[in-house]
Amino acid sequence: MGQDRVIYNRFAGGNQNIYPESGQLFGNVGGDREGLVEERKSRERMHREPPNGRGAIVMENDYSNHYIHTGKTPIQHVRNVANPMDGYPKLQKLHQLKRNQIEKHATKSFGCRIPSEKIVPTLKTWIKDFGLEFDVIMIGALVENQFIQPLLYQLPLYRLCAKPGFLFIWATTQKIQELTKFLNSDACNKKFRRSEELVFVLVDENSPYYPGEGTGRQQPLFTRQQWHCWMCITGTVRRSTDNHLIHCNIDTDLQIEGSDANAKIRNNAVPPSIYKVAENFSNSNRRLHIIPSRIGYNLPVRLRPGWVIMSPDVLINNFDPLTYEKELYSKSLIKYKQLNNTQKPQFLVPQSNEIEDLRPKSPINVK
Amino acid sequence: MIDTNSSKIIGYFFLEHNYDLLQEPIKGDLKLTFNTFLSYLSSNPFKSYDKELSYLPFLEQLHGFYQVSGKALEFNFVFDSEKQREKYRGLKVPRITWINTQKITILLDRLEGKNDKICYKVSNVVQSEKDRPNREQLWALLSQPFNTSADIELHSRSNAVTVFNTDFNTLDQILKKKTAVSQLAKKKIALKTSVKPFYDVCDNTSHSSTLANLILNKKELRNSTSDSTQVYKVIQQNRNNMSQEVYRCSHQKIHFLPIFNQNTDLSLGDCSYLDTCHKMRACRYLHYFTLQPCAAKYNYEDSLKEASKKALNHEYTIGQSFTDYQRKVLPPQWIKCDVRYLPFSILGKFAVIISDPAWDIHMSLPYGTCKDFELLSLPMHELQDEGILLLWVTGRSIEVGRQALQNWGYTVSDELIWIKLNQLKRTIVTGRTGHWLNHSKEHLLVGIKGNPPWINRFLDTDVVVSGTRETSRKPDEIYDIVERIIGLHARKLEIFGRDHNIRPGWLTIGNQLSGYDLHERELVIKYEEYLNKREGSKPLNR
Ligand SMILES: [Zn+2]
Ligand SMILES: [Zn+2]
Repeated sequence: MGQDRVIYNRFAGGNQNIYPESGQLFGNVGGDREGLVEERKSRERMHREPPNGRGAIVMENDYSNHYIHTGKTPIQHVRNVANPMDGYPKLQKLHQLKRNQIEKHATKSFGCRIPSEKIVPTLKTWIKDFGLEFDVIMIGALVENQFIQPLLYQLPLYRLCAKPGFLFIWATTQKIQELTKFLNSDACNKKFRRSEELVFVLVDENSPYYPGEGTGRQQPLFTRQQWHCWMCITGTVRRSTDNHLIHCNIDTDLQIEGSDANAKIRNNAVPPSIYKVAENFSNSNRRLHIIPSRIGYNLPVRLRPGWVIMSPDVLINNFDPLTYEKELYSKSLIKYKQLNNTQKPQFLVPQSNEIEDLRPKSPINVK
Repeated sequence: MIDTNSSKIIGYFFLEHNYDLLQEPIKGDLKLTFNTFLSYLSSNPFKSYDKELSYLPFLEQLHGFYQVSGKALEFNFVFDSEKQREKYRGLKVPRITWINTQKITILLDRLEGKNDKICYKVSNVVQSEKDRPNREQLWALLSQPFNTSADIELHSRSNAVTVFNTDFNTLDQILKKKTAVSQLAKKKIALKTSVKPFYDVCDNTSHSSTLANLILNKKELRNSTSDSTQVYKVIQQNRNNMSQEVYRCSHQKIHFLPIFNQNTDLSLGDCSYLDTCHKMRACRYLHYFTLQPCAAKYNYEDSLKEASKKALNHEYTIGQSFTDYQRKVLPPQWIKCDVRYLPFSILGKFAVIISDPAWDIHMSLPYGTCKDFELLSLPMHELQDEGILLLWVTGRSIEVGRQALQNWGYTVSDELIWIKLNQLKRTIVTGRTGHWLNHSKEHLLVGIKGNPPWINRFLDTDVVVSGTRETSRKPDEIYDIVERIIGLHARKLEIFGRDHNIRPGWLTIGNQLSGYDLHERELVIKYEEYLNKREGSKPLNR
């Protein structure tokens, strides 16, 4: 029944010739085509019949067409924005269980307020003097001019990031070429593999996340409604065996503004739903978010439990490496990994059997 | 050179006598100006000024003033270097032609030590109420939009103290305001675009269950091929068994009627595959029947005609071809061919190209496979001098695609995202559709070559929301969006198209099409020439 969905909109009217005398030719060739039509060899032709002969045509809604006439963006017709897991009780349960676990084991919120030019030297000190490493590193926010480039090239990211480790970098369509260049550069040592391209879609031009019409030489063709966040992986991690480190397919690569109906926060440097994607994916507890430059009043940098947020704008400045380490040891499940004859601790969010049962594993267990 | 004091005196002199000097009878004559200056000196008590000043030293000082004031004076000769100053002697009457009082004012302000002040203030005000706790007041302050203003105090002579209030919110709003061009272009395109029937989804679950109970068990509808006309017949027959509200709503909105059979286990929730589930009868998850009102009256052709008639009355015609209304859209054209071997030169040039290649990229390889290499080496430059190219990409091919566009001479200007909807108009969140995360969208890279002035920007957004269909079939909305950008009559090409891609106004090429059908005369001639040549050369190939 339902699956015989009929999409039949462009050629309503079927095989009657809608175009009896097509005129204009391309280039500088004019002249009559009529004669040629007659001469034309008989060719296989393709006609589109209405599905049920005459009569009613069921047409799918064309949201782009509707937007042209009403100004209501297509995204606003998506029915599971407020609750993306609508209709899937098991998936909802899984998300709730993971959330509880992550919150229970999160370190307290840390902020490191620091001028842009001191970010790189400070991070180098963290690495050198305190041996700090992070499993999840997010860089950037939803602002156009965030000066990520110099940071990326100066920072020994591969030393700051644990192996396996996960990088989330924000960019606009226009900036993506630069990122590609970076990932293939010597500075990055090709150590990070681009693995997923997350997209955050905002509701419309009134959103605090609206990027504007763009600046610079190349103007976009469309009203922009999206931000890109690259997910890169370093080190070896296998989805089949490393389930203490990662959980795959919990979230999707698309997050829509307003997805957390309960959240009061309408504007943040980074939408909370993207933090959640990172938290649900990596089961490690050390998370760092670097926002390299000031981003203005409209998107405040808010703290988040489980994250160290480094930015010239962050409201609270309470980070120090020793307190952080204490927090990590008291909140995480510690597993030691043998590495070159030394025991290296892994700081993990412990998982429950219930989560293990519910999480997507193989195509058979999806539902 | 000139000292501060002399500069001041000359400056005030010019400010005071600005008009007298330039008008009759002086008319900027340097000698007369000198005389006026002497009388200005004698009538003002300047202690330290040489009252015995003669003409040539005056010129020296004037030149000094001319330089420090940033050329506040203009002459009818070049008053620059020593050498050129000699030249004016040959002139009948060397004159000052213009006195820039603004510059002189700035110079004098500097010399007098008056600096313009710019004070930025945050002018948010919260009335302090004694009974309200401080925290609440602070919160009220923070939740307002920030209102910063800059007061610029100018100590100019002409306008003693001027205060400009620059409120950044207002400034921001002015900058963000849509230009008349973009507003009119939007209005025009709305008139030109046919209005397609559109139905909202009813979220009232009692409607859906009422309708499901009444309809889904009826014998007439057991047959799964029943179409909506039949379904509405059944609704008509059962009109008395439902409330007026439900009846009306069933004709106005889309309803998803839950299908219960003996295997359905409600606690499991919806089937991930919904209407595409292969074992719907055995499947224990919930499925739905889509009850959608029919648009019996809608006719694509008529609505297009109506739209173009409406658009005629709109006087905004910028970016529009003046023959628009006389021209007819060509019927669909297509050629079945192996894209790799068809000489692109016979096809002519196009304003837009869409390509949906079957990417074949192995996760383990750093670059595309042989097939992709072939794709990237297509002579795309032969098809477009300027225009736009749209390239569908997935997963790893996103990067290869971006690189390809660059190599072909395009700048990636946008990325259209297609958000895939399922039967229930929800995004696809289950089903392990990606390796690390699930995939609910696909990317369409948009590249621009050259600087085509005929493209209309900002009519659509870069997010397309549309249902999924057969594997790899892309939404038709893209065609309309493209036509809005480049106009209905521009030449349009689709590469790697299939039968369902052919479309009026478009030329489609690909190896899964059937035969060929062409209408543009030049194209017909060239293609048949090519066919004949190929026929002729075949024996040689053997
Ligand atoms: Zn209803
Ligand atoms: Zn099913």
